[in-house]
Amino acid sequence: MVVLSAARWVRSRLSDRFWRVQEVLKNARHFRGRKNRCYKLAVRSVRRAFVRSTKARKEKKRFLRALWITRIEAASLEHGLKYPAFISNLLKSQVELNRKVLADLAIYEPKTFKSLAALAQRRRQEGFLAALGDGKEPEGIFSRIVHQHY
Amino acid sequence: VAKTSLTSPPWPEVKLPDPVEEAKYHAAEVVRKVNGLISAGEYGRLFAVVHFASKQWKITSEDLIMIDNILEAECGDRIRMEKVLLVGADDFTLIGRPLLGKDLVRVEATVIEKTESWPKVNVHFWRRHNFQRKKIIANPQTVLRINSIEIYPCLS
Repeated sequence: MVVLSAARWVRSRLSDRFWRVQEVLKNARHFRGRKNRCYKLAVRSVRRAFVRSTKARKEKKRFLRALWITRIEAASLEHGLKYPAFISNLLKSQVELNRKVLADLAIYEPKTFKSLAALAQRRRQEGFLAALGDGKEPEGIFSRIVHQHY
Repeated sequence: VAKTSLTSPPWPEVKLPDPVEEAKYHAAEVVRKVNGLISAGEYGRLFAVVHFASKQWKITSEDLIMIDNILEAECGDRIRMEKVLLVGADDFTLIGRPLLGKDLVRVEATVIEKTESWPKVNVHFWRRHNFQRKKIIANPQTVLRINSIEIYPCLS
């Protein structure tokens, strides 16, 4: 609105009220009940809807990651591996695929997922062998194991 | 010495194949077969997992990808994606540790459009505290079309 002098500005009244109201109501048109028509109710609902959508944008990331993890867990259990074993052994074999892509592979490329599971299983067994060590007794006096023959 | 609960480990005993023999088998059989398949061209549609714009994408040819930021390329530029993590076809997969070589895979894409996203509304509101902030964000996006994924038989 253009008002050209101070005297006129003091006496001016709102002329675009309709469009200000429509700006809020257009975001409420898909709501249920009177809050999609009545401005007073719509203002509160629209404000709550926007606040909830801003918070949900942060939670969506957490939710999707949990979903991917559930899917990868289900797929790796089909191949006889648990999720922590699968992920840790894949990372130890320097395969850096993220959970989103692993979940997509588990759904659309089952053969590739099976080969990844086999890779993780093999790395797991090599890890167990390395953890066992040589099988000899440790050196030293205090750590010497006393053999008792009956 | 008597057998206790700690004499043998709790996981089942597994005999792993001999590493020297396994390396020979791998080099002779597996690599030769896969190289043969690649050079004969007996694969259908290839898919690849590419690391691009700090995200990983599972792509095939004729795919559309939307990147949530600006790329320093004009519309119509051909781009070669270099960080390829995995390439697969129906019968074989090439898993990179973590990346595959640049002489092995070639992924080409074209920039199709550079737009902005739909205007997202950020509202922060504390009730009874007279606190309201409203911000409308339209972040720039780029759309790429993956033209082709090619592999060359240079395994070793």
